[in-house]
Amino acid sequence: MQRSVPRPAVSSIDRQEQLAYLSGLLPAVLLLMVLTLAPAIYLFVVSLTPGTPTIPGSLTDFSDPTQNYVGALQDQQFLDSVWVQIKLSVSTVIAQVLLGLGVALLLHRRSRFLQALRTVFLIPMVLPPIVAALIWKILYTPDISPLHRLLAALGAPVSSLITNADTALWAIAFADTWEWFPFTMLIILAALQVVPDEPIEAAKVDGAGPLQLFWYVILPFIRPAIVVAALFRLIDSIKAFPLIYVLTSGGPGTATQVTNYYAFTQAFNYAYWGYASAIAVMLTAGVFVLSWVIGRRQGASAYGR
Amino acid sequence: MPSFRNVSRRHVLKGTAALGALALTGKAPARAGSKPFQGVELNVSCWSAPFPKLLQTYLPEFEELTGMKVNYDTPGFLIYNQRVDLELSTKGSSFDVLNITFIYVDRWLRAGWFAPLDSFIKDENATPKDWDTDDFLPAARKIMSGKDGSLYGIPWTCDCYMAAAGRYDLVEKAGLKMPETFDDIEKVAAATNKDGVAGFLGDNRHGWNFPPYLQGFGGNVFRNPPDDLMPALDTQEAIAAADFYSHLLRDYGPNGVLSYSYDQVTAALKQGRANYATEGHIFLMPAADPDSKSAKTVRYSMFPKGPAGQFPGFATHAWGIPVGAKNKAASWEFIKWAMSKSMMMRAVTEKGYSSPSRRSVIESPEFKKRLMLNGNDVAEIYLKTIELVGKSNYMDYRIVSVFPQVDTLIGQAMERIVSKQMSAAESMKQAQSSAIANLKRAGIRL
Repeated sequence: MQRSVPRPAVSSIDRQEQLAYLSGLLPAVLLLMVLTLAPAIYLFVVSLTPGTPTIPGSLTDFSDPTQNYVGALQDQQFLDSVWVQIKLSVSTVIAQVLLGLGVALLLHRRSRFLQALRTVFLIPMVLPPIVAALIWKILYTPDISPLHRLLAALGAPVSSLITNADTALWAIAFADTWEWFPFTMLIILAALQVVPDEPIEAAKVDGAGPLQLFWYVILPFIRPAIVVAALFRLIDSIKAFPLIYVLTSGGPGTATQVTNYYAFTQAFNYAYWGYASAIAVMLTAGVFVLSWVIGRRQGASAYGR
Repeated sequence: MPSFRNVSRRHVLKGTAALGALALTGKAPARAGSKPFQGVELNVSCWSAPFPKLLQTYLPEFEELTGMKVNYDTPGFLIYNQRVDLELSTKGSSFDVLNITFIYVDRWLRAGWFAPLDSFIKDENATPKDWDTDDFLPAARKIMSGKDGSLYGIPWTCDCYMAAAGRYDLVEKAGLKMPETFDDIEKVAAATNKDGVAGFLGDNRHGWNFPPYLQGFGGNVFRNPPDDLMPALDTQEAIAAADFYSHLLRDYGPNGVLSYSYDQVTAALKQGRANYATEGHIFLMPAADPDSKSAKTVRYSMFPKGPAGQFPGFATHAWGIPVGAKNKAASWEFIKWAMSKSMMMRAVTEKGYSSPSRRSVIESPEFKKRLMLNGNDVAEIYLKTIELVGKSNYMDYRIVSVFPQVDTLIGQAMERIVSKQMSAAESMKQAQSSAIANLKRAGIRL
């Protein structure tokens, strides 16, 4: 709904105030430009070249600026990596939101024990990602894994999950969910705690069952928080790296090679800086578009429009 | 935070101890001029191979001798290469001495990222004559030389592709012998793949392990390297070789074989969990160490013959000085010390080092004696392999600048076949088309 209140005339005092704010902001804006925008612009500029440090002059060769982008669209490995990325992102975001929601609902009681339990659940999230990856590397390596040994001792040996193309990606998704569901849990728990008591009590008086109560009263309140948590996890999942690097290096074959990892190998194993930059630019653009679309939908649903 | 008092006390203690030691050995205290590198900090890095690891234990001697302080780092092979490739490309000065990795030789030297060593070698003040550069095996020196004829790296290893049967007792029990042909490998692997022992084992660097089989079947990585770099990964021979090699891994390899690193291969051999492996010999030799469960049962042989002949792999790695290094004289001092005859000999006699690069060490009775294992003359296998490599140019595929890319693609192709995502033919065809696209991206005209 548009407001139709006429804008008051801007007085000179207001203008001076605005100027003061602006001059206060200017250093921060400049710093942001230098630290964030300049490298991003450089990335884009490099993506227009066939740049590789082993060929002198290639980083300033703009004779065919679209070659990397055209090349990427014809590069089956790149296209496959996008598909792997979609599978990983969708599965981990859904799993983390559902698990985070479930655990948050269970923990949302006033009890000291549950409060202590909350802290325990946060452990995976606060571990350095490389440590989390190492934990799973050990668990997934049959030679040394207590899990594999236990299963073998119970007479149900399991073959290595990370070297099987059918299970490798899901093994990573599982580890990623273990590591990051506490994040969604935390956000949803915070949202649950500010749900007012009145509508809940009113619904109970009207005879609503627990499911109805959740669906019609609690969920609408916490939906914005769920969307924000999902958005954060989605953006983060596109940046997935330590688990893949440590557990599978993108393999077996290219079964777990996500776009981010593919760009990494192009840049740091082969030194195709131009090509890797082009992939990075496309990835960044993808993340921006996704955030924008979800942000808009979220904004719309939050204000009931 | 260490307190000033602690630091100064430590210094005093150190100083007193040093004085005491000097008094005991009867040496005169060093004059300021006798340690020209006093106070220099040297950053040295190499991937975690046996030689750089054993060298680390001798570092205090070097520091004592020169007054330098050495920061020494040995990350894993892949991580080392990634880190150094980036570091070198910026011509940074973070490292004073670096390993020149075999498969990056052409790329790192051609781009001018390492400094030529001739000026140090020829300067009698920097290098005494009896240090003897010509003692390093010519095959290795040739690889580490640039197009200008200068030497850029001092090779510390000659890694030969060999075969080992950790559980030769099981091979004999099955009425078989050490494989001499690819068919024999199949028989031995099949016969010994039971009771918790994997019949065959190979590590996950398929770009290193597969080419000896590929060439044994009559194929090659490129059509005719280094002149014709058209990839040849989808030929009949390549597909047959891929089919054979992936079958060995899939059907006789241990659980999770695709994620086995070279360290895990060594560990599995030592624990007797796997029998037959073809590998760079530095990772096979530890199976005969005293702490190995297979010390009494391990046997070694040359890499077997395929239908088209015998093509054991070969690699050499060398110490070099990055162009960005600030104090190259100090860098050379380190290389000269690390690669002296006496140090390499001590590595053999004191630490059991098994892949020396100096002829005088290889031909020494001590080395021969050390490598006489369970009646196997491994020193002879070693020399024979190096001689075979020297006779033809079949290893040329490995030192072209774009090999690292193709190396990764071979790895992915093997993984796809072993994990049953694709047939050998499909997977090798995909590797071929990816290789062509990659080479074009690198500016190679095909």
